[in-house]
This record gives sequence, C-alpha cells and structure tokens, in this order.
Amino acid sequence: MSALAEIQPYVEAFKARPPVPEPSWLVQRRDGAIRRFSELGWPTRKQEAWRFTDLRPLQKSSFPPAAAAGDATEADVAPWRYPNAAHRIVLVDGAFVPALSAIGTLPKGAWLASTSQTLHERPELLEPALRETDVLGGQAFVSLNAALFADGFVLALEPGIALDGAIEIVHLGRAANRSAQLRNLILLGPNSRATLIETYAGAGAYWTNAVGVVGIGIGAVLRHVKLQDEDEAAIHFGHNRIELGRDARYENFTLSLGGRLARTDIHLKLDGEGAACGLYGATLLRDEQEGTIATVVDHAAPHGTTREYFKSVAADRAHGVFLGTIGVRPQAQKTDANQLSKNLLLSRRAAIDTKPELEILADDVKCSHGATVGDLDEAALFYLESRGIPVAEARRMLIEAFATEVIERIEDDAVLRAHLSRHVARWLAAGIAR
Amino acid sequence: MLEIGNLHARIADGREILKGVDLAVKAGEVHAIMGPNGSGKSTLAGVLSGKPGYEVTEGQVLYEGRDLLAMPADERARAGVFLAFQYPVEIPGVNNMYFLRAALNAVRKQRGESEMDAGQFLKAVRAKLKLLEIGEDLLQRGVNVGFSGGEKKRNEIFQMAMLDPKLAILDETDSGLDIDALQMVSRGINALRGPDRAIVMITHYQRLLNYVVPDRVHVLSAGRIVKSGDAALARELEETGYGAYGDAA
Ligand SMILES: Nc1ncnc2c1ncn2[C@@H]1O[C@H](COP(=O)(O)OP(=O)(O)OP(=O)(O)O)[C@@H](O)[C@H]1O
Ligand SMILES: [Mg+2]
Repeated sequence: MSALAEIQPYVEAFKARPPVPEPSWLVQRRDGAIRRFSELGWPTRKQEAWRFTDLRPLQKSSFPPAAAAGDATEADVAPWRYPNAAHRIVLVDGAFVPALSAIGTLPKGAWLASTSQTLHERPELLEPALRETDVLGGQAFVSLNAALFADGFVLALEPGIALDGAIEIVHLGRAANRSAQLRNLILLGPNSRATLIETYAGAGAYWTNAVGVVGIGIGAVLRHVKLQDEDEAAIHFGHNRIELGRDARYENFTLSLGGRLARTDIHLKLDGEGAACGLYGATLLRDEQEGTIATVVDHAAPHGTTREYFKSVAADRAHGVFLGTIGVRPQAQKTDANQLSKNLLLSRRAAIDTKPELEILADDVKCSHGATVGDLDEAALFYLESRGIPVAEARRMLIEAFATEVIERIEDDAVLRAHLSRHVARWLAAGIAR
Repeated sequence: MLEIGNLHARIADGREILKGVDLAVKAGEVHAIMGPNGSGKSTLAGVLSGKPGYEVTEGQVLYEGRDLLAMPADERARAGVFLAFQYPVEIPGVNNMYFLRAALNAVRKQRGESEMDAGQFLKAVRAKLKLLEIGEDLLQRGVNVGFSGGEKKRNEIFQMAMLDPKLAILDETDSGLDIDALQMVSRGINALRGPDRAIVMITHYQRLLNYVVPDRVHVLSAGRIVKSGDAALARELEETGYGAYGDAA
C-alpha cells in the first residue's frame, strides 16, 4: 500500500463517525488532530526513534475503530485479575464495560471513571489530556488517537488523597481488524498517592492504540504498572506522557509479553525540583514478535533522580528493541540518573537492538548508563543439567531468573512482585524453542 | 561400573589434554586420582559428566555397560552420575531449594519413584543438612550465591547426599575445607559408600584419604594414568612428590 492509501481508511473512519455531541474545544482538537495525522502519515525508519521498529504489520492492513465493545465475560477477565484490587475498570475494544467493572468506594476528592463518562460529567478534567505536543515522531499515533478516541479511563485525585487499594484497569481486544483508540488520563494532585495496574490483553488480530497523559503534582506518588500480553496476532502501541512536579515520584513497571508488534513509549519530564522516577521492565518475545520499549526522560529541574532498568529476552526469530534517552537540561544540576539495559538472546535468529543515549547539558550531575546483550550462561546451564534437570527446564529456570531479577527490584509490594512473576512463569510454561 | 579405555580429549583451541586414559572402577570401590596441576584431572571429570567444551577424539567410556559419552549431561545425571564441582557455579535468581527439588524429582522420576511433595522434601533436606551442618538459611538463597568457599563444597556433598548417585566424581571437594568441614564432608562421602556404588575422588591431599580410605590410587600426569596402587601410594606421593612421573607423557 502507498503511504497515502495506508492512512486513508483512518481519515474515512474519522469522517464516518456517528454524530455525538461534544464540547467545541474537543471538536476543534479532533479536527486539528486528523489533519495533523494525514500530514504526518506513519513514522518511517528514517526517523531515529523508529529506526528499529518494523511497522509493516500495521501498514499491511487497516484497523478502523471498533464500533462497540465485543463480547467478553468474567472468564475472559479472570486470568488478568490483580489480587486485592479495590477498584476495577474493564474496557473491551476500547469501550467501557460497566458490567465487568467495579469502581468500588472512592473517598471524597477521588475521581475514577471511564473517559466517556468523564467527558460527559467533567469535561474540564479532560482538556489538558488533549494538548498536542510533538513527541519524537510518535505524534502520528497520538494525533490519530486524539481524532478517534471514544473511551479510556480517568483517575483524578485532589490534594492529599491517598488511595490505599490498587486500581485495576483491564483492556481487552476482541475485534479483528479493528482498533481500540484509548485515551487515558491520570492527574494526581499534590501529596496524593495511588497504585494503578493496567493490563492489555485479548484475542485476535486487533490493534490497541493507547495514549495516556499523567500529571503528578507536588509530593504526589504514583506506582504505575503495565502488563501487556496481547494476542500473538495483535498490535499494541502504548504511549504515556508523564510530568512530575516538585518532589513527586513516579514508579513504573512494564511487563511486556508480546504481540505481533508491540511498542511502549514512555516520555517523562521531571519538571519540579527533587522529582524522582523509577522505570523498570521486562520484555519477553518469541516466534516472530516485535517488541520495543522507548523511554525519554527529560530532567528539567535540579535534584532529580532517575533509576531505569529494563531487561528483554528474545527467542526464536523475535526482535526486541530498547531505546532509552536521558536528557539533562542546563538548569537540572545535581541530577542523579542511571540507566541499564540487559538483554538475553535465546536463539541465533533472534535479535535485540539496544540504544542508550545521554544528553547532558548540566555540569554537576551523576549520570551513567550501560547495556549488555548475552546468551544463557553456559556454566550455569551445565550445573543444572549435571544435577539431572532436563535441558528445557534448566533453560526455563535461567530465563525466569533473568526476568524476575528486575521484578525483585520493586520495593515494598510482595503482591505485585508475585503477580508479575506469575505472568512470567505462565509465559515460560508455554515453552521456548531454541 | 565405569570403564574408561584409551580416552583422548581436546579443548576448543585444539590442545589435547587427555592422552589415552585407561581406568576401570568397579561397583563398591573408591578410587582416588591425584596428579600435578594442569594434568587433566578436571578435564577427565568434565568429559565424564558431559561438560561442553571438550571433544573426545578417541577411546570410549562405558557406564554400567552403556556408552556414557553418547548420553547428554542431564541424562547421565539421571542415570546416577554425579559430579562435585571443583568450582561450584553461582546461579543468582534460582533458589537453592527450588533447584534441588527440581533435580531430585527429575532423578526420582527416572528411577520410577513418585515426586516428593513439599513436606517429604523438607524432611529429607533437614536430615541431610544436619549431617553436613549447613544452615537452612543458605537454602533460601540463589544456588551457591554468597556461599563461602567451604560452604560451596559442603553444598556439593549435600546435593550428592540428596540425589543418591551410583557413581560420584568428586573434584577436589576437600580443597579449601577447614578441619571440621573436612570431617563432615568425609562423613558424607563414607555414607554414600556401598556395594552398589562407586566413588572417584580427585584430590591433592593425603588428608582426605585418611578419612575416606581408597581402594585404589592413581596418578594422572600429562593426560595419562602413569601409576596405580593401593592406599599406600598416596602416602608415598606425599613424601616424594610427582617428580618421578613428570615426564610420563
Ligand atoms: N575449557 C578449557 N579451556 C581452556 N583450557 C582448558 C579448558 N579446560 C582445561 N583446560 C586446560 O587443560 C589443562 C588441564 O586442565 P585441568 O583443569 O583438567 O587440570 P587439573 O588436573 O584439574 O588441574 P588442577 O589440579 O590445577 O585442578 C590446563 O592446561 C587447562 O588450562
Ligand atoms: Mg582441577
């Protein structure tokens, strides 16, 4: 398909949307966004941030937005349930499904609802989520999302509100050759605090295009977990833009268990003095899966801290990519940032590209980065085999150890560590070819 | 039980390390292999246990009448061959207990025994731990991770005791042990001794052989067994050194 032909179905879908009354600012932004999208088209491999990502699965067919939530039952949600979640939102094919959700009791000053409901009842909350900022060529996906989104979730906490129980958001894809355009918003007022577990899964050749905007106010803390285990035929793009105020903290863990093509973009700006972020994650890929994690951390204020650690495993003919940029602006003195990317290749035909990048414009900073790509440790493998453990199991044990090491870095949350480890074990139980 | 005939093996760079080893070990016997540094003792242990990186160019090894060299390493272990490593490997992230249980169940399955449940397993573990005076907390760590040199060696013998092999090859398990630990390890080895089993101990010191008295002692020098004798040979070597055998190759 030509570049124009590739984007045309989305422009058509935009025009053909059923008329829904929307605030005029939104109508304008959607118009602007679809124009922007048609000018940009898909990113190309000439753009540095997209050099390693093969977009062909997306370009080969088209994925107009699903019209409504496909069928899904409790049983479809069950495998993804987070133990002890206090609040749950389930979206299917990009639409909120009340019957599967349980918002639970929220303290006064806390808002948790679908994006559509928020648009209806508190549109002013959503306006900041639709600013159009150019982001390293990812703009096309963000613009398309702005033009087409219908739903998602919104969490807004007023100052000082702490949610003790975890919030669980489950996104299920069901509709083949359709897309779920999700727009999510998280706004934490000063000194508020929450834990949010997002899960993306499904069945079929759908495309999930999720865009999240996250604002964390002064002294607020967000633990944000993303578990992405899309169908092996599905495409996933998840793009989060996060801004941290003074002394705010953002703790992220991304467990990415594949899909035909999956990419997670995290763009984070430490805007206030003393802000801190922890970005951690593990990616496991098999067959011919493509998986990219791309992080951009922008230190824009002094005394900021970044701890970044991503691991990936590629088996068969899979291709993993880690792109990690840390920028330190001239005013961001006393920044303390480190980044580590460790990768494990399980087959000669698998490939991993890793590209750490530091752009440091301040002089009084502590920054480091490192990247490794290796095979399974032969000596360890032989040790296990020499005790009678069958080769396949020995390999599985070592891969599991490799992946869970980064999960163990999660502090003070044994339930979360166990949850993520269980999903890693489940992935491994399906067997790894050489 | 074990018959090694004219075994030649080389390493990746093409250098031949074993240059025609002949050795027969019968069930019920304990053999000691001694010899200068670099003479090929660990290489022999590695070849017998299926360690990658060696190429056998000539000769054969029969274990209970089967072609040992044709079996993959994990299969050898399940068939009852155990190697106590000269340098046990640290495996971060693989819990010791979990590892041991996986190994034990693999071995038991092979023998047609049922898998042990958690309770039975713990009971068996505790009994053997006591024998070797290993703290239970060590088992909660990664395999060999943060173990002292002596603890690693004791852990090898602990694993041997748990897996109950037919042929145990111990590569310098006595090196780096304090006097008490040496006695514990010796107790562990003697406990395994029996009419259906064989033990091959690679060692540099007579000291171990005072506790575990061997039936046969061999000198491996420059890739060949150049001298064999009874327990008296080890004492003799302690006096004379390997000088007399240095040029054997
Ligand atoms: N995997 C390997 N790669 C390179 N060289 C090796 C390898 N294995 C053995 N060698 C070499 O083969 C020779 C014999 O080594 P081996 O470890 O078998 O000696 P050893 O008799 O056990 O010595 P020691 O008493 O010091 O333990 C040495 O020169 C050693 O460097
Ligand atoms: Mg040696």
